[in-house]
Amino acid sequence: MKLAEALKIVKTPGPQDVPPLRVYLACGFQPAHLELFFAAHLRNRFPGRPVEVRLGLYGDPTGNLQRIAAEPLDAAAVVLEWSDFDPRLGLRGQCRWSTEVLADVQSTFLERADQIVATLKQAGGPPEVAVCLPTLPLLPMSHCPSQRSGAFDSALRAAAASLAESLSRLPNVAIVNPGRLDQLSPPAERLDVNSELSCGLPYSKFHASAVAELLVELLYPAAPKKGLITDLDDTLWRGILGEDGVESVSWDLDHHSRMHGLYQQLLDSLAASGVFLGVASKNDPRLVAEALKRSDLLLDPDKLFPIEAHWGQKSESVARILRAWNVGAESVVFVDDSPMELDLVKSRFPQIETVLFPTGDNQGIYGLLGRLRDLFGKAKVEEEDLLRVKSVQNAGTSPAELAEPGEHFDSFLQRAEARLTLSYALDPDDSRAFELVNKTNQFNLNGVRYTRGEWHARLKQPGGFLVVASYRDKFGPLGKIAVLLGNRQGDDLRLETWVMSCRAFGRRIEHACLKSLLDRFAAETVTCRFKSTPRNAPLREFLESILQEDPREGLTIAREQFAACCPPLYQEVQEIENA
Amino acid sequence: MHETRDRLVNCFALVFPEMPAEGIPRAAITSVEDWDSTATVTLLGVVEEEFDLSFEPEEIENFDRFGSILDLVSRRLA
Repeated sequence: MKLAEALKIVKTPGPQDVPPLRVYLACGFQPAHLELFFAAHLRNRFPGRPVEVRLGLYGDPTGNLQRIAAEPLDAAAVVLEWSDFDPRLGLRGQCRWSTEVLADVQSTFLERADQIVATLKQAGGPPEVAVCLPTLPLLPMSHCPSQRSGAFDSALRAAAASLAESLSRLPNVAIVNPGRLDQLSPPAERLDVNSELSCGLPYSKFHASAVAELLVELLYPAAPKKGLITDLDDTLWRGILGEDGVESVSWDLDHHSRMHGLYQQLLDSLAASGVFLGVASKNDPRLVAEALKRSDLLLDPDKLFPIEAHWGQKSESVARILRAWNVGAESVVFVDDSPMELDLVKSRFPQIETVLFPTGDNQGIYGLLGRLRDLFGKAKVEEEDLLRVKSVQNAGTSPAELAEPGEHFDSFLQRAEARLTLSYALDPDDSRAFELVNKTNQFNLNGVRYTRGEWHARLKQPGGFLVVASYRDKFGPLGKIAVLLGNRQGDDLRLETWVMSCRAFGRRIEHACLKSLLDRFAAETVTCRFKSTPRNAPLREFLESILQEDPREGLTIAREQFAACCPPLYQEVQEIENA
Repeated sequence: MHETRDRLVNCFALVFPEMPAEGIPRAAITSVEDWDSTATVTLLGVVEEEFDLSFEPEEIENFDRFGSILDLVSRRLA
């Protein structure tokens, strides 16, 4: 991003009726352009929100870190350069570069690193902190020539790496990956000597923009995609199954097709992190089944579901796969080596992300692997990520499919041995609850999303309750599948947020949640902050079944009204106070 | 010279969007309320970017009036 572009974005007035996003930028040097770029990238990330970037004091990196904990913030970014650990490591630091001074600088660095970890460990800070550790070249302070990594430079870099490792263990801290920064901002072009000497900002404009961009990506990452649909011929393997035969398609060094093997390894790893993998291939299904049995495959074929291998249209295959997964096209990536197939699928599903597999271009395939990792990357794999894939593969999303032919649905539910656990712990760090609220579309009371900061602040409000529902039955666990957030006002419960995963549909879990809530608080009514959205028809239909009319905003459900419409419930419900 | 002047006016307009265009050529750090040290740094960056220049610390002393910046930029481009 150019400085002029950042200025235009920042100077454009934002909406006035929305609370601003309050983000702290802590750095010991003059932030200047870094602040501008940071604000501009935040505005790009949240076009509908004003952004307030709060700054620390020049030359006071430690104090700035302490101020993070003292201010009510949505998030904080911390940028540390060598001179923040010891001013003698900066262009402005006046000192002799003697052996004694270097040893002292080294020990000061270690002390400061410990202080930083201790400060960021303190409770009460913002829910998300992104940290960028030193990115500039070290001054030529030691006697070693630049081509040689001397003891002094190595010790400082090792201490910085150790600091990164310590900070990355803190649950609310994310560290900028130096490798990724190298791709965006070449190390030799980062330091602006004139700017540092005249203004105290050591970063070139280009580097300031790159650092700001990565900090915003760390604080507010895009939602990871949920599923990948892959082609087979010249994509999952090299060769055409119908022409070359099962034994001749390849993915190894000997056949110059190793990059296809790496693609398989990546898909296998994605599946292990809870990503749905499906196949859409124009192929002979019998040959596909045979090829997927090959023992040298680097991907567990059981993780491919559904496999659409036939001679029909791929857009039809994609439609069926999306239905089986029950996810929207916007959460899915379609990979194929044919631009025409990509175009056909895109024209049917404009929101799907289509990616060309560049067969024969090894460098291109290598780049693709990184891109796919970024599209699906998540900092932590939750138990529910894995349960989701398993439950879809077992067709566990549809209780109707699990029932015996002709079996009455009630008798099926009765023998399902369902157990519903309702946790009332107000745990702001329950990342699955936060994820559910921000990703669920269909059974969603109003579509309201929260940033981490808003979520933390909301859970701190007095008088509020948070219910996180987990479900299992004899067919297996579904994990945490519903979240209800609200507060009690006398006999009335005000429900602000209510989401339930589509995997939990058709089990009367929504009824059980509402009943338990009414009983626990001995409430007479539940007032819902309902709002119709383009995608929350399942929630709307549920409310309609109780109210016997179209639900309207701010609707109220009376206890008797609910009791009269509630079907028989068979779950064993357990309430717990701690997660 | 005219082209340089117009481009510099655009730089000022970006940093001081409230300033009327006709007032920009007379702008000085002493007469523009919003022109503080932070604005100087931003203006410096925008001018450097626009003209693909890098100013030495001693040249930045000239960043206090539109006219002196125009002279500086014109000299550097000559």
